[in-house]
Amino acid sequence: MAKIGVFTCWCGENIARNVDVDKVSEAIAKLPGVGCSMNYKYMCSEPGQSLIATKIRELGLTGVVVASCSPHMHLKTFRKTCELAGINPYLIEMANIREQCSWVHSDKEVATAKAIELIGMAVEKVRRNHALQPIRVPVTKRALVIGAGVAGIQAALDVASGGVEVVLVEREPSVGGKMAGLSETFPTLDCSQCILTPRMVEVGQHPNIKLMTYSEVEKVDGYVGNFKVTIRQKARYVDIAKCTGCGSCWNACPKKNKIPNSFDYNLGNRGAIYIPFPQAVPARPTIDPDNCMRLQSMKNGKELCGICAKKCQTNAINFHDEEKFVEVEVGAIIVATGYQLYSIKKEQENPRIKGYAEYGYGKYPDVVDSLQFERIISASGPTGGEPKRPSDGKTPKSVVFIQCVGSRDNAKGITYCSKICCMYTAKHTMLFKHKVHDGTASVFYMDIRSGGKMYDEFVRRAIEQDGAKYYRGRVSKIEQVMVDGERKYRCYGADTLKGTPVVVDADMVVLAGAIMPSSGVTQLAQKLSVGYNEYGFLSESHPKLRPVETNAAGVFVCGACQGPKDIPETVAQASAAAGKALIMLSQPELTREPEIATIDEKLCAACGACVKACPYQAISIEEIRDRKGNFIKKTSRVNPGLCMGCGTCVAVCPSKSADLIGFTDDQVYAQIESLADVF
Amino acid sequence: MNAETKSTDAFEPKIVAFVCNWCTYLGADLAGTNRLEYPANIRILRLPCTGRVDFNLIVKAFEIGADAVLVSGCHPGDCHYTAGNFHARRRWDLFRELLDTVGIDLNRVYFSWISAAEGAKFQKLVTEIVDKTREMGPYEDYKKLVAES
Amino acid sequence: METELRNAIRKLLEEKTVDVAIGYGRVGVNGAVGATFVTNPDDVDRLVWNNECRQNLATHLTRAEIKKLGKPAIVVKACDARAVVVLCNEAQIKREDVYVIGVVCDGIETADAAGNKTGALMGKCLSCVEHAAKNVDLLIGDEAAAKALDEKNAPNAKSVGHYEKLAKLRAMSQKERFEYWREQFSKCIRCHACRQNCPLCYCNRCVADKNRPTRIDTSSSLKGNFAWNILRAFHLAGRCVGCGACAAACPAGIELDLLNLTLANAAEDQFGYVSGKELGELPLIGTYSPTDKEEFIR
Repeated sequence: MAKIGVFTCWCGENIARNVDVDKVSEAIAKLPGVGCSMNYKYMCSEPGQSLIATKIRELGLTGVVVASCSPHMHLKTFRKTCELAGINPYLIEMANIREQCSWVHSDKEVATAKAIELIGMAVEKVRRNHALQPIRVPVTKRALVIGAGVAGIQAALDVASGGVEVVLVEREPSVGGKMAGLSETFPTLDCSQCILTPRMVEVGQHPNIKLMTYSEVEKVDGYVGNFKVTIRQKARYVDIAKCTGCGSCWNACPKKNKIPNSFDYNLGNRGAIYIPFPQAVPARPTIDPDNCMRLQSMKNGKELCGICAKKCQTNAINFHDEEKFVEVEVGAIIVATGYQLYSIKKEQENPRIKGYAEYGYGKYPDVVDSLQFERIISASGPTGGEPKRPSDGKTPKSVVFIQCVGSRDNAKGITYCSKICCMYTAKHTMLFKHKVHDGTASVFYMDIRSGGKMYDEFVRRAIEQDGAKYYRGRVSKIEQVMVDGERKYRCYGADTLKGTPVVVDADMVVLAGAIMPSSGVTQLAQKLSVGYNEYGFLSESHPKLRPVETNAAGVFVCGACQGPKDIPETVAQASAAAGKALIMLSQPELTREPEIATIDEKLCAACGACVKACPYQAISIEEIRDRKGNFIKKTSRVNPGLCMGCGTCVAVCPSKSADLIGFTDDQVYAQIESLADVF
Repeated sequence: MNAETKSTDAFEPKIVAFVCNWCTYLGADLAGTNRLEYPANIRILRLPCTGRVDFNLIVKAFEIGADAVLVSGCHPGDCHYTAGNFHARRRWDLFRELLDTVGIDLNRVYFSWISAAEGAKFQKLVTEIVDKTREMGPYEDYKKLVAES
Repeated sequence: METELRNAIRKLLEEKTVDVAIGYGRVGVNGAVGATFVTNPDDVDRLVWNNECRQNLATHLTRAEIKKLGKPAIVVKACDARAVVVLCNEAQIKREDVYVIGVVCDGIETADAAGNKTGALMGKCLSCVEHAAKNVDLLIGDEAAAKALDEKNAPNAKSVGHYEKLAKLRAMSQKERFEYWREQFSKCIRCHACRQNCPLCYCNRCVADKNRPTRIDTSSSLKGNFAWNILRAFHLAGRCVGCGACAAACPAGIELDLLNLTLANAAEDQFGYVSGKELGELPLIGTYSPTDKEEFIR
């Protein structure tokens, strides 16, 4: 037999002014199953709560309704009251007679009548509540960080310094990402490598970090707190445990300086056995199988070259190396896969996006993208920091910078702003002018977006102190021309502020290509069940309030994989993601609200409607077998570790075999039907 | 509603609202916090998400004597569960067509997006629904049908 | 065609490609056409194919008693074939576990109260633009003739047959429509023949039979009849293939398929969605597009 206690709050005068609480208590006391109905000045106060607790104990109440404010205000409070009084905290419902009654209706008689109905609904609901236990999920105290650019490095260091093991996976042979290849960084112009390399070294040496370079995530199983991730370690042909990084091998490689180095965006060269850049972490070489004579010859059963192996003092080179699959168990995953520049010329992966044939990128050697220009002016770059143009190595005197190449261009299929190009272009003009004092830097821009601490000042400095020429307008086309025997790139632009066409004969052109998520990110996102937008940027759980969480519980995002952002923002977000992961992993076990979906497996027809509709991929089709393993039937099944309790499955389930605990059909229909008597 | 109002002849519309916990319910809370007064004719049923609203609930609401029904949730893109409201929207669209063919009065079925910040929108919409329903009168057609059952 | 069909099925049974053939036969009183199950190759002459083959046999594919007989071959018209596709997409059957024999259909005739054919085509057939079944293992009949019929019907497809009826209904005032259905549904006796004959009503227990809570009044009250018929139609939204089995089975003669047509029409108009068109296609309900229309939302 139900014995429900109803506690009506005056909320001082907030409720009592417009609702006759005595009349309410009296009316509610008459409802069937109500064991006590009383009111008090402040239910949420200590005496109020102990009144409830006393009544629970004294009368052995089976359910509680507190008629007061919004459940968003005090449901947790009263759940605790119930728990302390010895009944299950989910045996309470609230009737919102303040925000949705006394505060919005001034006619006391009407408001009183409405309050009685609202409480009546809650009584009918609570009558059907069940004792629920929070879902407890064990936690593996280890985190996986995917991508070891500045975001992944920061996140890994923060998690590791929090005392939790980290597996840091990077698909390139070295950590460092895009930032390792930058020249100097805005708005302070400190050298990128100077600030990053100490972090890279730290990542390599941290006792809590297991670094797996030249590796990729192959498969992800499990759920929050309990992921099983398979990592594919590509064949490196060098045992990095034996290797000391002495350099004898790469210096002896006959292909030394003959193979374009992708770290330098193919502006510099490396050997077949190589480290991508001198500060690489781990400082261990990799053999490029497509260009190694030995590995190539082995395909034909021969054993050519092998000089590197002969030079190696530690026997670290293994031409028979093969890719390996390593399984790691982690509780949380941080995705930090970063970005790439939109490919300006080439065919696009995404058919909706078009390239810029009119700028001759890829056709004209001196039309480069902004990341290539970073290498050209980087002290560690292929030119040693001397600005030399790729075609003939001459120092360019006139450089044209074009912003928004791809970005904010509906015609090319990219609508968003890449956010960092205004700043780095200003930086480029400054660095160029600092090195070529008599040079001209001309910038074509759409708008200058330089929000950020010391950012606008930085752009002003580029214009006012370093004399960069800014034209607000687009360049429609670039032609290669010969002027006095010199190769020039004629840029046909416009200055829309003056309303005049601008034609600049440049020695070199730098295109600020749009920022796109790294290749392969959507496949990774699918493995992780993380959402992504039409461009492949990963979706955070809430743009304001859950910016590093994703809808896949236990998976966090940071850096440019989530959207274009600069280094400070990336680092801040990486630390945020690390913090969120640490909060999760610091608990002995995860508890989740038990108000989740449930399936009546006996009646489920396994049509899969819920599986397809679930926003969290929390439902799967499973087989029911008897003890001997004989197949009985298929059914949908909810993974309590993943379900967030939205109830979309309930609405799409044709047979209503799906239900939502805490908001069951039984409860909801009873609530509506309670109105039948009063309507 | 209560005995007193029932005894008078004045018609008081009865509105049932199914709202999501994270946007519209909080929008209604905000209307309260800001003391934005509106007619007392609405009974709010809190569900986690509009994605949970199975449309038999709308039919049920008419069966128990509602004169109008409101379903309201987060604006597109704001869903606490990312996509529940998108799922709901597609179903609403189809369900309306069906109700229309059956001859259910679509002027008595409302759908809206009301965010947690839109207390004023909640107030305005509820006021409008109540006023309009008052003007239309009780949903006699459905009440007759229930009475004959 | 009938001979060809019988020969094909004999061969399938003889070669043990299938264990049972689900086809049409004269099984009812007065030789009315209904579902026939043939397991012995010698019995194939019981099978018929004519313009009285009203039933959608796909409904038998999910029945436990039929499943027990082994791998089935099934005879389908184009509309029925789409139901097979939906059943596959909803994981009720595996496509490779059934041998689908499509028959080119030039229209099915309606029956009068006594079950005799009337000479008039069913509404769905007047607007049919798919006379040859798709996604089948074997097609029997003249494909070219089917195509010609498709082309003949195409220009007026959306204005004849039950589309015409729906248009008439939609042209009424809201109150008139309500009155129409009130009268129709008052005849409903809640026998649930519509459900039993629907190839896509395969739930292990129908919501209408569940009582905790009672979502729909279980007696044949007017309010229960409204709720049931609205819910039944909506459960088939984006799924119904328009075979008309529900209306054909209704002993009260309620044109239930008009409700389904409303939804099918809306699905096509608003989402470009036609159910049962392709294997592997995602359901209409349970998926969404961020750009779905919403002008009706306040």
